[in-house]
Amino acid sequence: MALSLDRLGMYDPKDPLKDRLTDLGPRHFWQYFPLVIQNNYGRWIYHDMLEPGILVHVSETGDKVYTVRCGAARFMTVQHVREICDIADQYCEGYVRFTTRNNIEFLVDSLDKLEALKKDLASRKYVSGSYKFPIGGTGAGISNIVHTQGYIHCHTPATDASSMVKAVSDELFKYFQGMTLPAKVRVSMACCLNMCGAVHCSDIALLGNHRKPPIVDHQVIDKVCEIPLAVAACPVGAISPDKTPEGNKTVKIRKERCMFCGNCYTMCQALPLSDKEGDGVTILAGGKISNRISMPKFSKVVVPWLPNNFPRFPEVVETVKKILGVYASGANKYERLGDWAERIGWEKFFEKTGLEFTEHLIDDYRLAYDTWRTSTQFKYTAAAWDTSRIAAGIE
Amino acid sequence: MDELKKIIVEFAETNKKTKFYFKDIEKAVQKVNSDAKMRDIKKACTALINEGTLIYFSTGSSTMYGLKGRGITEDPIT
Amino acid sequence: MPFEPKEPQKEIKYEETRIYTDAELNSYTDEELKNFRIKHAIPALEELESGPWPSFVADAKQEALHRRKLADNRMLIERDVVEDMLGQLQDSFDDGETHWKHGGIVGVFGYGGGVIGRYSDQPEKYPSIAHFHTIRVNQPASKFYNTDFLRTICDLWEYRGSGLMNLHGSTGDLVLLGTTTEQLEPIFFELTHVLGQDIGGSGSNLRTPSCCIGKARCEFACYDTQDLCYELTKYYQDELHRPAFPYKFKIKFDGCPNGCVASIARSDMSFIGTWRDNIRIDQKAVKAYLSGDVEPNGGAHQGRDWGKFDIQKEVLELCPTRCMSLVDNELRIDNQECTRCMHCINVMPMAIKPGKDNGVSILLGSKAPILAGAQMATLIVPFMKAEPPYDNIKDFIEKVWEFWMEEGKNRERLGELMQRTGLPKFLATIGLPPAPQMVKTPRENPYILWQEKDVPGGWNRDINAYRSRHKR
Repeated sequence: MALSLDRLGMYDPKDPLKDRLTDLGPRHFWQYFPLVIQNNYGRWIYHDMLEPGILVHVSETGDKVYTVRCGAARFMTVQHVREICDIADQYCEGYVRFTTRNNIEFLVDSLDKLEALKKDLASRKYVSGSYKFPIGGTGAGISNIVHTQGYIHCHTPATDASSMVKAVSDELFKYFQGMTLPAKVRVSMACCLNMCGAVHCSDIALLGNHRKPPIVDHQVIDKVCEIPLAVAACPVGAISPDKTPEGNKTVKIRKERCMFCGNCYTMCQALPLSDKEGDGVTILAGGKISNRISMPKFSKVVVPWLPNNFPRFPEVVETVKKILGVYASGANKYERLGDWAERIGWEKFFEKTGLEFTEHLIDDYRLAYDTWRTSTQFKYTAAAWDTSRIAAGIE
Repeated sequence: MDELKKIIVEFAETNKKTKFYFKDIEKAVQKVNSDAKMRDIKKACTALINEGTLIYFSTGSSTMYGLKGRGITEDPIT
Repeated sequence: MPFEPKEPQKEIKYEETRIYTDAELNSYTDEELKNFRIKHAIPALEELESGPWPSFVADAKQEALHRRKLADNRMLIERDVVEDMLGQLQDSFDDGETHWKHGGIVGVFGYGGGVIGRYSDQPEKYPSIAHFHTIRVNQPASKFYNTDFLRTICDLWEYRGSGLMNLHGSTGDLVLLGTTTEQLEPIFFELTHVLGQDIGGSGSNLRTPSCCIGKARCEFACYDTQDLCYELTKYYQDELHRPAFPYKFKIKFDGCPNGCVASIARSDMSFIGTWRDNIRIDQKAVKAYLSGDVEPNGGAHQGRDWGKFDIQKEVLELCPTRCMSLVDNELRIDNQECTRCMHCINVMPMAIKPGKDNGVSILLGSKAPILAGAQMATLIVPFMKAEPPYDNIKDFIEKVWEFWMEEGKNRERLGELMQRTGLPKFLATIGLPPAPQMVKTPRENPYILWQEKDVPGGWNRDINAYRSRHKR
């Protein structure tokens, strides 16, 4: 059946229910498996990484499947997807898959095909010089940075996503193409606290953050918003109903209460938060989702705010590189970033990375006490002496 | 079903608010008809949507129901 | 073959579905691309074209040039959508603020989700992206595709949309970015009729479920993640399209405790594969690791010289429960003590494998920070079999939904509700006994909320009887 060319295709606006198909769900996965996957479904016995980005999985039947993992900007055009299809048609019987972290995976069933495929992928570049299909992202290295929409398509971001991810990925490229770190490091990026990218359990999380309370657009708020929804949206009760001098319905905001979550703006577009000077990037570190060795853990805020220095975010890039460098030289084999920081102690983390420890890094929201240290076990760093000097006048 | 639909429309026509979470509708219906089951109320809402009486209003993260023609019922057309 | 679709699948042949000819698809040269400038000045974006990582700007320019080359009647939305999108992005960098507005009404008829309304706040300057709505397309389980499907989507989306997309969105959908209100319904009809393909979730719906690669290409998968994901997605289509929940609800399926789809952090209901029998050990393969014939951890650490594999240091001492020992080069595991963390299995995949009696652990309530703070999922069901037709799992899901729909406030995620009502009440409602596996430690405060039924004689006491024993 051909795609239709008429302006409204098969849709009849006079009778929207006519021929409407609903609740079809997704297409069944089985038809998209290459034969080697169908034949060995559930029969894989082990895998090996031949080199960065190249996996081989071995089946109990003796079959092998070779996977080439390529990085990708998750934002891509139909022209790029068509190029992916050309490669899949040429080498992979027309099949291709994408990983949870937005990598592209090409699967082949022989070493000969693998070599030809690798060579082809490595040769494909944009006219401006960047790789179209960089091979890597496996093992003890950095995989693709998962991220959110940013200024490309979102209405609430406190920073941009695609540009920051491009800038950071360029600088971390050797970790993407090498397996030189103590363990995998998962870097994730979300443009605001809504975290549609749910970065809160990543080894390194880059997070857009607002710092100015919303402005109230008194003129239109009653027309474009449901005011009770806006009031109810605030988790700290900072928004209350109000009247303008002209007697129109509006809201007032207790600015000192604002936690800059943006939930009000999600519910009401007459309460914008974004601001060039206010918005920026928070960096979190030490989270993970795997149950391996230690339990999954949340990422911790290690840098409260860095400026949105478009398009290449030098301050963000430098901070990430600094954290990674210290981690790479200090952690044990298999030790995730958060496990390393806990082993040496977070005070040592700040000493070694040289990141500034400020009051913004001490929790003062709900259940904050859980993160306070209730022990005499600590390590002496310069910060301990600074505090002690001020408290007790010691030398 | 028709009774539930009637209750829902009356509620949506007369309430101060113009957009309702499903829960608001469920509570309003059960105030009038305490035997009304959640599943049946949802079916009635779906029927009203399909008739064009109710519309969905979505913030992207959560969705509400509204009466077509009351409050915001068109996106800005430029 | 272990699986066949339960209903006939519409076959898609690109040669039948296609809109564009080969000549139309290959309409520009690299030389032209190099010299191509879009209609707006985008100096900051052009800085993002260099560097080794794939450049989304360089890619977007390909599409911008491609649209310039198409004939007028070969697309139904504006030719320069990509150029306007890039121009507005440059403005956003200059202004340090986004220029997108949200819209709440657009969608396809009868569905409360799957389409996100989006408008430019600079429609005079960038008229082609005045409306620029998103459509979420429900991805096939674990995101395998064939090129007939993808090429058809590409033609559809270039003809009726911007040609810009995400592979994939954070929840898992294939996301189409940017079309007009007029084209939403036609696109939905093409998707359903030509592609046999539905759209995904948004708003207060069941969001599009997603799963790891599972048995398709992983030896660790403890259940059929794809099959369960597909089955539940199909079974709960009404919940996915017609919102009646207090808020969003995400379900994710991880095949093992490594958690590749992050279900423990990113889903209201997290299914993680596990086993209840013994870990399988192949002693011959253990010896291969000990002798250095096989790289540990599938070669994941080969980029650096970590020295000879040391099973004592790298496996036995890192085991969180120290339940492993090596006796005369024979590896032993005290399975009663194992917490199935996967470390030894990850390090020695040829020698150590998950047990054969498999199922899932079910954890509930994880979410990102909005509103009451980020939460991770809490273990509620230690073990459940996960086999078709999955009635046990459906029963459990519906019990949880019933509780949440009954007790949950508007915009309250399951995890927040569990915190508000307390785990004991939640367990009582869904009919499960409390277990030490559900907590990290028992409570630290003694404020036990005793109920009257807990105490012999109840709470109604006679003050006179009390006074007969104690003077005022």
